[in-house]
This record gives sequence, C-alpha cells and structure tokens, in this order.
Amino acid sequence: MNGRPRIAAGAPQRRVRLWFALLCAATLLVCVASLLFGAGAIGPLDSLDTLIRALSGHTSDDNAWFTIESLRAPRTAIGVLVGAALAVAGALLQAVTRNPLAEPGLLGVSGGATFAVAIAIALGADAASLRVPVAQFGALAGCVAVLAASRVRGAGDDPVRLVLAGAVLSGLLYALTSLILLFDERTADEIRFWVVGSFAGRRPDDVIALLPGLAVAAVVVVGIARPLAALALGEHVASGLGHRPRLVRLLVVLAVALLVGSATAIAGPIAFIGLVAPFVARGLAGPDVRTTLWLCLPIGAVLTLGADVVSRLVVRPSELPLGVLTALIGAPVLVAVVRSRRLPTL
Amino acid sequence: MTTASEHARPALAPAGSWRLPLGSARSGRSLLLDKRACVANLLLAAALWAACVASLCLGEVSITPRAAIAGLFGYGDFMDVFVVQELRWTRLLAGVLSGGAFALAGCLMQTLARNRLATPGIIGLDNGATAFAVASVLGVGLGIAPPAMALVGASVATAIAFGLAGGIGTQGYRFLVAGIGVGAAFDAITRLMLARSAIDAANAAYPWTVGSLNGVGALALNMLAIGLVIGLIGAAALARALGVVRFSEGVAQGLGIRVAHIRLGALVLSVGLTALAVAVAGPVGLIALIGPELARHLSSRRGVPLMGATLAGALLMVVADLAGRVLFSPIEIPVGLISTVVGAPVLLWILLRPGHKIGV
Amino acid sequence: MSFFYGRRRTPGLIVALALLLLAGTAHAARTLDTAYGDVEIDGTPERVVTLYEGALDSAVALGTTPLAAVATRGGDSVANYMHDHVPDIAIVGTARETNIEAVVAQRPDVILASSNLSEPQYRLLSKIAPTVVPKGSSFAADAWQNETRLFARALGREDKAEQLIEAFDARAEHIRAQLPAHTEAAVARWMPQGPIVMSSRIFAGRVLSAAGFETGNDGKIAANRPHSDPLSLENLDRIDSDWLFLATLNADGESALAKARTSPAFERLDVVQRDQVVPVDGQLWTSASGPLAANAILDDIARALGIAAQP
Repeated sequence: MNGRPRIAAGAPQRRVRLWFALLCAATLLVCVASLLFGAGAIGPLDSLDTLIRALSGHTSDDNAWFTIESLRAPRTAIGVLVGAALAVAGALLQAVTRNPLAEPGLLGVSGGATFAVAIAIALGADAASLRVPVAQFGALAGCVAVLAASRVRGAGDDPVRLVLAGAVLSGLLYALTSLILLFDERTADEIRFWVVGSFAGRRPDDVIALLPGLAVAAVVVVGIARPLAALALGEHVASGLGHRPRLVRLLVVLAVALLVGSATAIAGPIAFIGLVAPFVARGLAGPDVRTTLWLCLPIGAVLTLGADVVSRLVVRPSELPLGVLTALIGAPVLVAVVRSRRLPTL
Repeated sequence: MTTASEHARPALAPAGSWRLPLGSARSGRSLLLDKRACVANLLLAAALWAACVASLCLGEVSITPRAAIAGLFGYGDFMDVFVVQELRWTRLLAGVLSGGAFALAGCLMQTLARNRLATPGIIGLDNGATAFAVASVLGVGLGIAPPAMALVGASVATAIAFGLAGGIGTQGYRFLVAGIGVGAAFDAITRLMLARSAIDAANAAYPWTVGSLNGVGALALNMLAIGLVIGLIGAAALARALGVVRFSEGVAQGLGIRVAHIRLGALVLSVGLTALAVAVAGPVGLIALIGPELARHLSSRRGVPLMGATLAGALLMVVADLAGRVLFSPIEIPVGLISTVVGAPVLLWILLRPGHKIGV
Repeated sequence: MSFFYGRRRTPGLIVALALLLLAGTAHAARTLDTAYGDVEIDGTPERVVTLYEGALDSAVALGTTPLAAVATRGGDSVANYMHDHVPDIAIVGTARETNIEAVVAQRPDVILASSNLSEPQYRLLSKIAPTVVPKGSSFAADAWQNETRLFARALGREDKAEQLIEAFDARAEHIRAQLPAHTEAAVARWMPQGPIVMSSRIFAGRVLSAAGFETGNDGKIAANRPHSDPLSLENLDRIDSDWLFLATLNADGESALAKARTSPAFERLDVVQRDQVVPVDGQLWTSASGPLAANAILDDIARALGIAAQP
C-alpha cells in the first residue's frame, strides 16, 4: 500500500474497473442466493424453479412465489441498500478523519441513532412512523461529536485515540439507552428486537421511505469525492487546489448522518460493516478515496446481505440477530487493521 | 552508596516522606512512607467508612446509624437486623471487595502497560469473563461454577488480546484497539447466548450483562475475598519494582529487577482479580479506570498508588451501588449502568484533554 | 363473581359457611409440601405478599387482599385485569428482580412465590416469613390448579380453592360443549419481524385446551422454550389455525392487529382471511395465571366465539 494517495490514478485504473465488475457480479450472486434461501419450507430448488418460471412470465400466487416476492425480495433490497450505505459512510468518515479505524458503529454514530430512537419511542412515538428522521438526527449528533473529538489537538493526530474515544462514547450512549429501557417497560418491549439488528418483516414502503435520504447522500458524495481526495493531501494542498476544507467536512458529516441514520432506522444498529468494507476496498485498490467509495458499494452489499443469508439458515425455523453476526465478522478485521505493521494515516 | 548511607545515619527521610524504622535501629532497615500518599489513603479510608455506614442505613427501609451498627451484631428490631445482616451487609461486602479488586487490577495493568487507558475492561477481559459466566449460568458450560468460568474467560480473553498484540508491543494504543475487537467478539457471543435461551434463564443471566450487586452468591464472594487478600499481598510485593519498571526497563534491569517476571506477576494478578470481581459484580469495568485515576489525583506522583486505588475503587463501587438503590427507588439501577454514565465522561476527558500525555 | 359458585350453588354455600366457622376458630397449624421442603404455617395469615402473578391472582380469588405484589411482565404495576381487585397494592419488584428490602418493609406473615424462585432468594425470603414455592414446573398440565390449592392451604382456605377449580371446570365444560370438534387455536405476540409463538404448555394454552381447543403446537416450537424467538415470517403458516389469539403487552389490541395486518405474510394466513384473529390483552394471556385469569380468558373466548359464557 502506498502511503501517499494519488490524485491522478493511471495504470491501476483498469485493475480497479476489473475488481468493480467482479464485485458487482458477486453482489448479484448473493442477491440470487438471498432469493433462494430462507428459514422456511421453500427450499432453494423450489425457489429456483419458481424464479425461472417467473422470469419467463409465468407468475402464480402460490406460496413459493409469495415467499420470494413479498418476503425475500424486500429484505434483499434492504440488505443491499443498508450494506452499501454503511460501507460508504465508513469510507467517508475514514477519509475525513484520516483514520482507517473510523467506523460509524465504533465511533458512536450508530449509538446516537439508537439513543434517539429509544427516546422517541419512550416519549410516545409509534415505532414505525417517526423512526427515519429521528435516527438521522441522532446519527448527526453522534457524527458532530466524533468530528469535534477528531479536531481536538493530539487526539485527532492519533487514529487509535479517536477510536477509543468513540468506543467510550458508544458505551455511554448504550448505557443511557439501557437506562431508558429500565424505566420504561413498554419501550423496552418495542425496542428489544430492534437493537439486535434485522432485515426481516420490512415492507416495500419502508424501503421507499429510505430513498430520499439515500439519494441526497448519494448526490453529496458524488460532489465531494474529489475535494475529499485532495483533503487527504493536507488542508493546505486542498485549499491551494481551490477546495474549502470546512465545507467539505460539513458535507461529509451530513452525508454520513443521512446514510447511517437511514440504515439504522430500518435495520437496527449493525456494527463493523463500515470498517470491513473500506478496509477490503483499500486492500484491493489503494487508498484513493474516490476508488474506495466506488468499491465500497458492492463490498458492503455482499457482506451485509451474505451475513443476512447466513443468519436465516443457522437456527431455522427462527433467525439469528444480524448485528451479532456482523460483530463476529468485524472484530477480527479490526484486530487485523491495528496489527498491520504501519498504521496508515489516510 | 553504602558508605553514603552509613554517614547519613541517623538517616533523614527525603522531603515529603516519613521514615519508620523497622526492628532495631541497628539493623538499619526502615520503611519510607510518602506523606501525601498516607494522607490520601487515610482520606479515602475515611470516605469509604462513611459510604459504608450510609450504605447500611439507606434504602427502601431507612435505619439510623446506631440501629444499623447494632443490627450488624444482631441486636435490635428483627426487621433492622434482617435488612442489615442479610441484605445490606452482603451487598456492601460485595461492593467493597469487587470495587477494590477492579481498581487494583486496573492500576496494575495501567502500570504494566504504561498507559492510563489500559484497563482490563477496555481490552476485553470483562466481556470474556462475562461470556463464560453467562455460558455457565445458561448451562452451556459443563456445570462449572460461574466464578471458575469467569476466570477461564478472562484468561482466554487476555491470552487472545496480548497474543494478538504481541507483534506490536504493549505500548501505544494499538493493543487497546485489538482488545476492543476481542471484547466486541465476546460481547456478540454473550448476546447470542442470551438470545438463544428461554426467557427465564435469560432473566437469571441478566445481572451478568449489566453489572449488578443484587443477589451475590456466597461462593463467588468468598473466592473474591481470598483473591483480594492475595492480590494486595502480591501487589505490595511488586509495588517497588513496578515503580521502577514504569519509568524505564533499562534502569530496572540495571537495578537487578527481573522485568519479565515482574510484568508477568502483575498481569496474572490483574487478570485473576478482574475475573473474580466480574464473577461477583458483572462487568463494571470503568471502576478499574476511575479508581486509580482518583487515587493518582490525591496522592503524589512518586509511587504507584496501589493501596489508594484499591480504596478508591471500593469507595466508588459502594457509592455507585448506593446511588442506584436510593435515587429512583423502588426501581433499582444496576451499578454497571451508573458507573458507565459517570465514568465515560471522565474517560473522554482523559482521552481528549488537549496536549496531555496518557502515560502513567 | 357469582360464577365461582357454579352449578352446585347450595352445597357450595354450606361448605363455605362451615369453612368460615372453622376459620373463625383459629386455623390449625399445617405443613405445606413445597419445592424447598416442608413449610409450617399456623393460623390465618393476614399480611400476604405475592411475588408471582399466579399467587396474586389466587390470593385475590380466595378472598384475601395481598399487601404487595410484583409488576406484570412489560408493565410497571399489576396486570390490567387485576387492577380493580387490588387498586392500591404496593409494588415490590418486577418479573425480573424482587426488591427484598421492600418485601421486608411490608412485614409479611406469608410470602407466596413462583416455582422458579432461586434457592438463594428462597433462603433470604424464608427468614422474613414462611415462603411458599410451588413444586414442579409452571408448564405442567395442572400447574395453576395445584398452585391454587397450595396457596389456598397456606392461606387457610382449601375448600374455597376446590370450589374455584370446580367452577372453572364447569364453565370450561360448558364452552367445550358448544365448540365444534377439532377446533384449533394458537396464541402469538406480533413483532414486525415475525410473531412470538406461545407454547401450548403455558397457562393460556392450558385454559384453551380445557375449553376444548386443540393447541398442539409443541412440534412447531422447540421444547422448554415457552416464549419462542420471533418465528421467521417464512414459517408463518405454523401459527395458522382455526382461531388465532393475538396478544399485545402494550398498545391496545385493535391497533396491534391493524399493525400486523399491514404485513402481507400475515394477511395471507387462512385464519386472517376468515377473520378469526382475536386481539387479546397480553398481560392476561401471556403473563398471568390463576383462577381469576382463567375465568377472564374463558370470558374472552366466549366473547370471541359468540357463545354463552355461563352454564
């Protein structure tokens, strides 16, 4: 890995494109797997049969088609969206804090979203309706706290110190959430199954509710990718190139809050995707944030949806909490990142 | 050096210290006591005593201090005697012992790693011990008692965290983040086990996940008491050497201290104390960070405040438990939540204070 | 509460009167066979503390007014159906944790607890007052009847317990007679990611089968897990039956049903198509136990099926 990011990517460009194509193919594969496998009685062969008949125009109203269309298709879409959103949020946060360990879950952004949702439900909001904007607001607060911490002299230069601060902030937010749950049994009951993370039982409307936030975030990300790459060379260089570092940081915070807030609202707090996906992306294509962002899309989707498929199959006829599974995948990667001989500052 | 001290007899204590002669004056053996550390320890002990009395008196039923002390020895109204002897005394003992053990373990590990953030809780020991203890409560663990399982869990977590950190040394923060990773994995396993168990069994394991002093087992408490005594003796034996090791390994080796032995000893004590304390109180890891911090603020910077940290940890635990019982009665707030809500801002302050080193 | 006397009103009254006379002449000392060995109780306890919803229910049904109880699951007071019976009862803990200091403060004569009270807790409580812990699992077939008998012995009201149980049997028999043969029923709580299916061995399941329903879902959810994980929506057909009782702990039943109906998987169930989903109070159906609860559940069943509740 070359420590200095390149502004002008030349020869590796083709390799990146190849990887991107391969990863998109992998995403497609996982999507198909997600449609084929489930905790129910409709096995992969039945599903495949139904799917092929549906593709040739023969839809029917039997159980197999219903399971695929109404149960597995929405959660597949959510898996892809949430995975891509979390991965991109991680890559953005890592670029702006110049810290390969900055992960929304580790740094308290997801914790902020969870805390906000718990407060909203405790104050009487219905779990389903208010969730998205509330979670986005909570994520925004968490994001601002992280960035403020990273701007403190001393802590900002030291990648690991920031992560420690984030871990402590997360711990604090989860403790406060637990306190609310302790005092309010109704909230505890409503939120109990949400905090472990899951894609099950979400309806197409829920997915549509996410789209505006994600679209805005996408526009912002496209707009700031280039200045962000320049910022990696240092504030002076970025200013010299005509970018405004403060504005860029502000926009990144906004984008991360939108992405993490949306993802958390629909799926619950899901840890470590924002760490693992950019880590893999950098390993494949080098540290330039513009390529990292592109590669993060399919990698996040594959990881998250793959974990979801596994969670359906392990403890049939029930399902495993998704957040637990991603933590088990993510923890070793975290260790691997810190173990790498020279911790690259981005 | 020998000649210098011969001439200086009767020896004068260095500034800020008392010298207590041990045995006959001729033997020349004496104990140097740091004045500020002594005063600090006395202060902490007094505060702990006050907190203990308050803890025996306050609660759902209020008892006068006099009746509480009488009740402790079995005199007075039946209800007072029962509440003091059976409920509050056990709980107080659990608080004092576990708080002391957590903080002593924290202080040892901080000194050993030369990092104020390197406490057992942060590098995942608490979570490891909790995961194994919960496995034991839920019957996954071959019916071994929770304290023993907690010990196994803490050792496994330590082995993993330090093993992974082996390549990068114990200095800096990387090994802390490796520990965070280990802790996250164990935490996920705990949540998985709880999600997979019947609701009544999950309720039985609940105190393990938040940290609570309610319903402490006698076996775990006895083991912790023995462990803390051994820990304090061991720590006293290591204190001088640790005081040197924390500055420079080179100097320590020059003075004939076997650095590797000292570090291993401190690590073993730290892991053992943490595991036994987790077996009693659950994961209340932040005490291990705030206790030594408080002790360091009160006493001088010269020594390693092992005794002060133990007292401070016990004090903090007793106060946190008392607050959890009294503040929102009849709802009881687990001591783990209180210590996180209070301790996390302290930790953030240490981390983010501009321009400060985090060495011990 | 006239239904407690059931068909045999006159003999029941005579027995009750005789009992009252007996109770008036100081109840004899008796030995109770509990989960933690024999417990001696002398006289008629006046200050009763219940640490279990079934115990509270039984004690009230037997005609005593307990001083304190634990909160119902998912609430911060006693269950809704108990509220009017004991309007100003003290709360001494939750289903998860008992606040023993609060129990002491009530200075009880007897403590009635659940069958899964832990031994250390029992040892503490039994120093305060004789503590009655039912033997055997609360999922056993005759669990609530046996518990009621035991608590009645503790309170010195054995015969009243037999009346209560006979009256329940009569009512259940009456409903059974009106029910078509082989009518299936299931109890579930709705969660957005899937329902939590209640085992037929929990209290409500026992009452349903006493009333003639077939509730054999033990093959569908794992043994010894009375409250299952959320079932995967793909396996939703496992809760399909003739009648589905949809319990909710917090929101009112109708809105919980409306929420469930927004799920296409739920909408597809036969029982939903036939409109035979009955929203019920989760505190009563999934947390409570005891004679009052049993009769309240019979009331719910009769109302839902549109049949006569009383013989």
